Amino acid sequence: MSDVMYAGEPALEAHGLGMRYRRGWALRDCTFRLPAGRICGLVGPNGAGKTTLLNIAAHVLKPTQGSLSLFGGAPGSVESGRRTAFLAQEKPLFRRFTVAETLRLGRELNPGWDQRAAEDIVRAGNVSFDAKIGTLSGGQRTRVAIALVFGKRPDLLLLDEPMADLDPVVRHELMGTLLAEAGERGTTVVMSTHVLAELENVCDFLVVVSGGGVRLAGDVDELMSVHSVVTGVREGEGLPDFLGYHTLVEARTSGRQFTALIRPEGPLTGPWEATAPGMEELLLAYLRSPDAPPLVTPTAQVQGQAFGTGTVAA
Amino acid sequence: MSTFTNPSTDGRNGTANRTMNGTMNATKNGAGHGAGNASTTEATRRPRLSGMTWLVWRQHRAAFWTMIAATVLCVAWMIYQRAQMMDFLNAYGFPAKNLDDAGKQFDPYIGAFTSVTTGLTALPVILGVLLGAPLLAADLENGTAKLIAAQSVSRNRWLATKLALTGLVVTVTTVTLSAVFAWWWNPIKLHYLDIEWTSREFFNTTGPAPVALSLLSVFGGVLIGVFLRRTLAAMVVTLGFTVALQAVWGYFKLSLGDIVTATTKPVSPGTTITFPSVPRTAHVLDTSYVSGSGKLSDLTTCTDTLSEEATASCMKKADIVGASIDYIPISQMSSMQWFGASILFALTAGIVVFLFTWGRKRLV
Repeated sequence: MSDVMYAGEPALEAHGLGMRYRRGWALRDCTFRLPAGRICGLVGPNGAGKTTLLNIAAHVLKPTQGSLSLFGGAPGSVESGRRTAFLAQEKPLFRRFTVAETLRLGRELNPGWDQRAAEDIVRAGNVSFDAKIGTLSGGQRTRVAIALVFGKRPDLLLLDEPMADLDPVVRHELMGTLLAEAGERGTTVVMSTHVLAELENVCDFLVVVSGGGVRLAGDVDELMSVHSVVTGVREGEGLPDFLGYHTLVEARTSGRQFTALIRPEGPLTGPWEATAPGMEELLLAYLRSPDAPPLVTPTAQVQGQAFGTGTVAA
Repeated sequence: MSTFTNPSTDGRNGTANRTMNGTMNATKNGAGHGAGNASTTEATRRPRLSGMTWLVWRQHRAAFWTMIAATVLCVAWMIYQRAQMMDFLNAYGFPAKNLDDAGKQFDPYIGAFTSVTTGLTALPVILGVLLGAPLLAADLENGTAKLIAAQSVSRNRWLATKLALTGLVVTVTTVTLSAVFAWWWNPIKLHYLDIEWTSREFFNTTGPAPVALSLLSVFGGVLIGVFLRRTLAAMVVTLGFTVALQAVWGYFKLSLGDIVTATTKPVSPGTTITFPSVPRTAHVLDTSYVSGSGKLSDLTTCTDTLSEEATASCMKKADIVGASIDYIPISQMSSMQWFGASILFALTAGIVVFLFTWGRKRLV
């Protein structure tokens, strides 16, 4: 493991990041920090700004305001360019190149190229090296694109919806390869998705963006431990008064029953059942309630950022 | 590979077992700053494309090979046609015998020029539309620009390699075609009067003119492509641009030369006016009568008279004492082409600078 990868070093740090397109803000006031060596799920509804965030990190877009740093350097620098690999959502490849030529592209343009790692990924899918990219199926093309980013041997892997067009078996296999690779080399991975089930057992870090801002960011265990699902019987109209003492993320009622996802600010007392939430449950609650107060846990905070807010302290 | 320490220094492991030997590993720390160092070392070792050059050549090899093959075919055809022409001229007895008397016998050999000039004059337009416009527009449209941006090479290097390689192929092919065409025309250049050297068929296809026109058309097309980011739209707009460039060039080409005026010695009004002699193959711009006061008048002066006597008295009345001819001699052709070409080269250089300063930001 590389000596620069001690637990505290941030692989990615966003400071008041904002991106405005002609039709409005895609990302606004986005501040969080991702420690090195983590597998981070970047979650959000369609159009939430996930792709914009990854494109800024990959130096494809320039932010309108704020800044983003990779291992302390700017996204465009030679150093971060070499340490970062990016798989764009559309997985662009040269259609007239063969698979072998596509891998040669990676070898010619990247000093740290690992031909064997790339070839292994291609071979595992029984894709012929002489096949033209244009003749491959969508899944096979994704596999070649993934081989290309893996062969670069990056320290930070940015994947924009990498598994969207893969069947479950291949998805499982590639996810396994990804985790093995990341575990062995301490690679930091940022993976955007809206398939929540994909994240369970894979990610140990989560960033939820919605409506252009960070809704939730932090270590998975930490996030789970500060949330509770409370279930109970409703008395009268509205929610029980006690919920007012805690930070309410989402509450739903069905008949006389209510279920609420809260961040307890003190001991929970009363005739209610409190359980720990599942990851999918937690994410869904945040995605469904855009007005819930955002939460950025200490591991995900940049220096000077106040707990529990999405903005930077001046 | 399991004893991985740091990607920036240990990064060559993957390629080491394929292409590099021990000495390479020993020197790499000293040379390990830029991404291209390893590939340049390799390139000098064997005559094989590597790095970015390989990628750009591979991506555009169909276009480049088509250009090279078309040039070779065209050159072969011109060599053959020149040999045919020389055979005829030798049999005819040129240059002892004047070509003006050859008449229809020589027509097929002039027709051969036309077949080639049609292609050569269209060359800048063809190259601009088919090579220049899609050069970057296709990458921007297909997202492959993003793929390149995600590799460990700078955007400047990608842009520089693309422009340099394309510029090189365009220059080599157009210089070859221009030189061979001029060599074909040269034996009769000063002797055959029916070829107008200022016509686009000969002015735009010899010397530096086709090179400059092609380079500006191609790089203009590249810039249009970066601006529009759509291949088809870029090709259509580039077609308009290159045709407009040809029109502007055609309109201004005579302004590139110095007009020479030849005037006859004044005679007494009423006597027959002889016209001054100008060099053969000179491009005549204007012919006029000169009056005793030095005023120029049109050649139609006194043409609507009914008899020769009436004409003579009319001429006497108008005080016509001589004639003058404005012309550009063929000796100016080369300097005019170089003057025009240098303007086009400067514009091309401006486009390249603009591509690096402004276009670079749009290259993803």
